[in-house]
Order: sequence, then C-alpha cells, then structure tokens
Amino acid sequence: MDTSPTAAETISLPVQGMTCASCVSHVEGALKDLPGVSQVVVNLATGKVTVDRDSSLVTIEDMRRAVADVGYNVPTAEITLDVRGMTCASCVAHVEGALTDLEGVTAAVVNLGLGTSRVSYVPGLVAVSQMKRAVRGAGYEALERSQGLDALDRERQAREEEIRRQGRNLLIAGAVGLLVMIGTFYDMLGPLRGWIPEWLSYKWVIGLLTTPIVLGPGRQFFSNSWRGLRHGVTDMNLLYATGIGAAYGIAVINTLFPQAGFGGEGATFFESAALLTAFIVLGRWLEALTRGRTSEAIRKLMKLQPKLARVLRGATEEEIPADEVQVGDLLLVRPGESVAVDGLVEEGYSAVDESMLTGESLPVEKKAGDQVIGGTLNKTGAFKFRATRVGKETALAQIIKLVEDAQASKAPIQKLADWVAGHFILGVHVLAVLVFVFWFFFGYRLFFDPNSSFILSPYTLGEIGVFGFSLLLSVTVLVISCPCAVGLATPSAMMAGTGKAAEYGVLFKAAQAIENASKLQTMIFDKTGTLTRGEPSVTEVLVAATAPGGLTVQDILRFAASAEKNSEHPLGEAIVRGALERGAEVSDPEHFQSIPGHGVEATLQDRAILLGNRRLMTQRSVDITGLVGQAERLEGEGKTVMFLAVDGRPTGLIAVADTLKEHSREAIQRLQRLGLEVAMITGDNARTALAIASQVGIDRVLAEVLPQDKAEEIKKLQAQGKRVAMVGDGVNDAPALAQADVGMAIGSGTDVAKETGDVILIKDDLRDVVVALETAKATMRKVKQNLFWAFFYNTLGIPLGAGLFYPVLQLVVSPELAGAMMAVSSVSVTLNTLLLKRFAPSFGSAGRGATADRRRSVDRLPAPAAAGD
Amino acid sequence: METEEFDRDVARQSARRYIPISLGVGILFYVFATLTGDNTLVARIGGAVWVTLLSFIVSTPLITARIKRRHRSS
Repeated sequence: MDTSPTAAETISLPVQGMTCASCVSHVEGALKDLPGVSQVVVNLATGKVTVDRDSSLVTIEDMRRAVADVGYNVPTAEITLDVRGMTCASCVAHVEGALTDLEGVTAAVVNLGLGTSRVSYVPGLVAVSQMKRAVRGAGYEALERSQGLDALDRERQAREEEIRRQGRNLLIAGAVGLLVMIGTFYDMLGPLRGWIPEWLSYKWVIGLLTTPIVLGPGRQFFSNSWRGLRHGVTDMNLLYATGIGAAYGIAVINTLFPQAGFGGEGATFFESAALLTAFIVLGRWLEALTRGRTSEAIRKLMKLQPKLARVLRGATEEEIPADEVQVGDLLLVRPGESVAVDGLVEEGYSAVDESMLTGESLPVEKKAGDQVIGGTLNKTGAFKFRATRVGKETALAQIIKLVEDAQASKAPIQKLADWVAGHFILGVHVLAVLVFVFWFFFGYRLFFDPNSSFILSPYTLGEIGVFGFSLLLSVTVLVISCPCAVGLATPSAMMAGTGKAAEYGVLFKAAQAIENASKLQTMIFDKTGTLTRGEPSVTEVLVAATAPGGLTVQDILRFAASAEKNSEHPLGEAIVRGALERGAEVSDPEHFQSIPGHGVEATLQDRAILLGNRRLMTQRSVDITGLVGQAERLEGEGKTVMFLAVDGRPTGLIAVADTLKEHSREAIQRLQRLGLEVAMITGDNARTALAIASQVGIDRVLAEVLPQDKAEEIKKLQAQGKRVAMVGDGVNDAPALAQADVGMAIGSGTDVAKETGDVILIKDDLRDVVVALETAKATMRKVKQNLFWAFFYNTLGIPLGAGLFYPVLQLVVSPELAGAMMAVSSVSVTLNTLLLKRFAPSFGSAGRGATADRRRSVDRLPAPAAAGD
Repeated sequence: METEEFDRDVARQSARRYIPISLGVGILFYVFATLTGDNTLVARIGGAVWVTLLSFIVSTPLITARIKRRHRSS
C-alpha cells in the first residue's frame, strides 16, 4: 500500500452492498466514468474493486462518491490513537495534517485535552502502522488506544455478520413459511389433519403469517431495490421485490376484497410470497457462505503474519509488534516460534517449516548465511537473524498481494458472464411485460383451462381471471429468469483454484493466467537452471596442440577463470570454482566484457583472452579446427564446451557439465501424457542440447538461440496457431516469459514481486509445472460446470415460466417453485465449487513423498549474465 | 467532478421523461384493454398498473444513464 500519491497506481477498495452480477456492472460503470480511471475490475466474491487510476486526477473520495451514487458503499473503519507530545493547537494541526495526507484516511480529529486522534479510514488502503509512522514523522508518538481489528478480522467479521443475518432471515422465513405451506395444503393432509388446527387453513391466518415473512426477511429486497432505483440502477433485488410484492399484494386484495375481480379467494398466493421469500433468502445465505469460504486461502496466508517479534537491542531482548521491525534489526527466534520478517541468519542453526508458504513438505535447514522467510515456523533450534525485508516487502506480503490480485482479477469468461447477467435484468423485465400482454390479450382467451394447475400442486387455477393469470405468469418469469448464481459462478471457482494452487507454492498472477494455462498446447522449457540444476562443474580441460609452448592445464584454467572472475553466468562461476579446486591462480583481469550469447573477452597481464562458443571464435577469426573433434565428442555426452583463445590463438577447451534436476524426466513425461508438445530452448549448441533433451525425454529442441531471440522463437510457434507456455528463470527470461501465452517463472524463491511471468513457481521443482497445469484445468472445469448450473435453470425455466408449454401440458410454474429453482441453482454452484477443495494434482504432497528436493527452496542463483544461455 | 446539484438535476430531468413514458404505456394498455375483449374494470386497471410499474422499472435506468451522459458531454 503506497500512500504517497503517484501519477498511475492500482488500488483495491472494499465495496459493500453488491449481491449480484448486475451490481458488479453498475459499480464498474460508475467508476469507469470518472476521469483518471483507466481500468476497473470488480470481484463479487471478495467484495472488492481494483482500480487503475491517475491519482492526480481522481481521489479516493471521488471514487467513494461515485460508488455511493449508484447505491453502494465503501466502508470505513475508525481507530483511536493515543498521541503523545502535543502541547497546543498547532500540534493538533500538524498531527491531523500528517494523518489526512495519507491516502485512505478520510478524516482525522485530534483531541488535545485527551491526547487522542480519532481516524476514519478505508481498510485495506492504509494500515495503522502507517498512521503511527506518519505521526512519528510529524514529531509525536502514537499508540493504538484500543486494539483495533486488522483488515482480516474486520473482513471476517463482516462476512460472518452477513452469514448470521441471512441465516436468521432463513430461519424465520423457513419456519413460518412451513406453517404457511401446511395451512395452504391443509385439505391435502389426510389423516394428519387431526394434528393441525383448522384455523391454520384460514386465508386471513395465512395472510397474517406471511406478512412478517415479507416485511421481515423479504424487506431487504424492497429496500435494496428502492436504493438502486433512486440512483437509476436495476439489479436482481428488483426482480425479487416485484415478484414477492405482486404475489403478496394480489393475495391481500383477494383475501380482503374477494369480489374485486382479481380472481377471488381461489387466487390468493400467500404461499407464493412466503415460499418465494424463503427460497431466495436460502440462495442469499448460500452465497454468503460461499464468499466466506472461498477467501480461505487469503485468510490462511494472513494468519501466518506474526503479530510480535523479538528484537535484540544490545544485550536486551525486546518484544515489539512485528510491523515495527526495521530493516537491519537483529531478531531472535526460539524453537516453536514463527519467524517475524524476512532476513539472513547470522548465528545459530535450526530447521524451519516453510510448507505453509512454499508447499515444501520437509523442514529446511537454516544456518548462518541462509535466508529465512517471515511467517514460517522454527522447529528445533534457536537462531538470530538480521531483518532484510519488512512490511509489504516481505515474501509473505508479496504472496498475499499476488494471490489477492489474482483473485480480484477477471478471466475473459467471467467478463462475458458478468456482461450477460448485467444486461439481463432489463431484458427480463421487458420479457415480463411481453408475457403479461400476450396472456392478457390473447393467451387467456385461447388456452386457459380452469382445470389446469401448478406443477407439483394438486390445486387447480379455477376461478382465476385474465388479470390474475397473466400476472401470475409475468411474476413467475421475473423470478425464474433471475441469473442469481451467475455472478458467483466464475469468481468462486477462480478463488478456490488460486487458493488451491497457492497451497503447493504455485501462484497465478491473474485469473486470465488460469484460463490460458488450461488451454495450452505447447510447453517450452529453458535449459540451464530450469531443466538442469544450473550448477555446472568443470569435467575436462584440454590443451590445444596449437597452444603457445609450455602451457598446461593449470594455465588454461588460470586464463579462463581470470576472464570469468567478474562474470555472473553459471558457466563462468563453474570455471572459477573448478580452477580454485584444482589450485589454479585466479587474478583480476585488467579488462572484461561479456558478449551475450557468445562468451567473454578479457585482458590479463597484457594478453587478450577470448572464452566462449564456436560463434565467438568464428567471429574473431580464431581457427579451432584442431579442437572441433574433441569438442563434438564431449558435446555428444551432453557437456557444454567453451573454447579458449589467447592472443588470437586457439589454446584449449573446457568442458562443463550440468546435471538434470531430480524430477525433470518425471515432469516432462506427465506433461506429454497430458497431451502437450514439449520443447527445450537453449543458447547451447545443438549437440549438447540434444543430449540433454534425450535424457529428459524431449524430442523438439531449439538450440543456439540467443537470449534476445527466445521471444522470437515463441512468437513463431504462436504464429502457427499454438498456445505456448514458457518455463524459465523469471528474471533472465523475462522477454520470453512475457511473449508466451503463459509464462512460468520457476524457482523464484520467495522474492515473487520482481518475477516476470503469469505463474510463479516458488520451489525449484519441475513437477510444479504439472501442478500448475492440472490445477488450471480443474479450475476451468469447475467454472464451466458452475456456469452451466447457473444458466441451466434459467434456460429451462423461462419457457416454462412464460407458459410456452401451457397449451399442451395445462401446467404452470408457481412463483414459489420458480424461487426454489433459483435457490437450487445457487446450491449447485456453491456445492460444486466446494468440491474443488478435494482436488489434488498428481504431484501434490502425497505424490512427492520423502524425495522432495529440500535444497534451495528459498536461496536462488544469482542472476546469470546472458552468455551462452 | 460531479456535485450533488448535478445529481439532483439529472434525477429531475430523468423523472420528467420516464414518468410520462411509463404512464403513457399504462394508459395505452388501458385503452387497448377497453377496446378489445370484455375485460372487467378491475382487470383493465390492474393490468395498466402492472404494465406501468414494469415500464417504470425498464425506463428509469435507461433514461437516467442517457441524461447523465448528455450532461457530462455538455
């Protein structure tokens, strides 16, 4: 949360009051109309809206107003801070000014006498720790007066309150509705009538029972509709309100004035109003439950954030709030405690459980020099570490943000569903008018049969007149057309899917990434560091016959290692390591230059050194004919050969071998079984590349590709109509990852923020690629199933409700049956989404057993230079 | 930026349009219901009220959005 206004930024606002997809489109429309807002994405499931804005053109207050204008609310919270050090009115102005300068703070009122400041703010945009820092920055001290709830607790409270509220409504509507039903069908109860008082069947008693249902649990639909209409918007509440209101109104008239001509006592539809209300409230309760459950992934991650930290100041230990730890602080962690922030171990030794963040099933050993991650659990020993990242920079905060952003984003399929649902409401009302007009002027006269009845009801329609019959069908159409579950169908599945993937250390950056990953046809793997460990080592050193006289293997290594001393490339590092291991002297070159895709050139003791591949030698006219035979033999064994030339003469070669990652072959085979074409891309020569590819089971190899050309190769495949994923190092393969339809950055460690790519794989395990793909496919399957269930009942119900089959079947759908069908669609979507919790990818924890690679779950290679690969 | 005055202005101008439109549709319904068939007074009035209500619901957001757009562009 960056609170200093910048030109362009993305913020997330909570919005209350949204209940359906049409609400989503109203809020989006209201915000998009503001100048300075470039993009708006609303997530109904999380109740949040993500806005890309130019903060110099549009403020938080403008956005709050725009949302309020269409009948919704951006909630604010309040907190009271104790402020110390104020002495006069100007102190008051300083503190208030410091607080209101923070974006997200809507008001700050300081009481000098009490020494307090009451702050109103939008939760999620600004944290209490930032307020305290701002006051400190103004020269005063601030403490929380009351332990205010953090954003997570507030959000959970709001959801639980909503679940409780709808649960209470359901209880009332359900219990009383049951009595209404018993009274309505009294004549059909047979021997059970002995248990039930006859007065329960009197119309006025049924009316009295229905009234509290409509005015109690049903009131929310009327008040929400009125609020919307006042602002010129229509939503699903309106459908319910008109349906319930019409059924109840006609029933009241027919009870009090049976001779009024609305159908008489035979056309009182109190049970319609009562049961319709009950079923719709059931749907609302289920939706509230779904919204609460599917954000569990975020909740679990947020719960990992430790509240306290043990900081060492000199010889004393001090326990402070974790959000007050500064970079550079020395912290102590005892066995059984959580690590407060990210850092580097300075002293001690322990094993840390990182499974909650990375999915790594075995505890990871930590010693001096190792990184630790905030939120992980220390198991056995105690250690001290220096804080390197705090607050929003920590890995946990980055992961939470990433998962939140992904859950807030919209997949293309959802955009379509929301657009359809948003425009549906008006269409449904138009349809209701047409149905009414048709049956009033034509249908009743042509087709009405007094002996016809409701579906699943023994009662005939009897004396109902033209108006009553037409109104009945019109109301039923309103209710049965409502796409209540559409708004939740996609986002609930996406949230469950991203949460499920995060359990395995697979982070999808956006919902679109899930949709794209489910449709992939081709998968391209980078070689070094992706398929291989990226820790090559020197295997052979050969002196060329054409080398200047007296040069030995040690000299070859000395020249090569000195030239590579300043290189960050894995091959260069391997040569330096190999030289040191063999006792060769490694000096600083006078001059060094890396030539991406070719090698390096350097000057050592006035001698010109060239170290690199064939391309480099050819370019610099170094004749390596005498070394080619040996080079080809070594490359055939899967080794990378680098030629050394000194002062323009071929001097020797060095062979470096990298080993495949432990589960490379397994992962590739699984991908091929999933029907994907798998290829490898590398800057290495073709011979070496083919040797490595055959070890891992890949048939297609794109070799000798310069780093800057990898993206082009992907483009060529895409031009063939293929959907391509690229798996590589997130920092070095950035252009290729960005070009691919899905870019997967593997082995990112936990510094996820700087990774390019649509999918971040925290662990260095290729099986996570399979996990990502399988989870994406499972999620999209769930989305499509949910949309099917959401629309199925509408598609089936509209012709039924409109009376299309009435002339043949002499059956009509009652309004309460229509409401029941809508509740069933919500139940279907909710239950179907929850089933995703049981999904386990083939390489989930159970599938990995004890062979999980424990190494380097957090540590990662330094970013290699571009030479070679 | 929009002000409350802007909102009130839009609301007033929109109401001046969608109310007569809705009432007009209702009246039209009543006239047709009277001229065709032998519908009772109650059925004609009930039908006119229902059609008016639905027309109001359909026309309100459409007209309000249009008026808002026109105001902003001017």
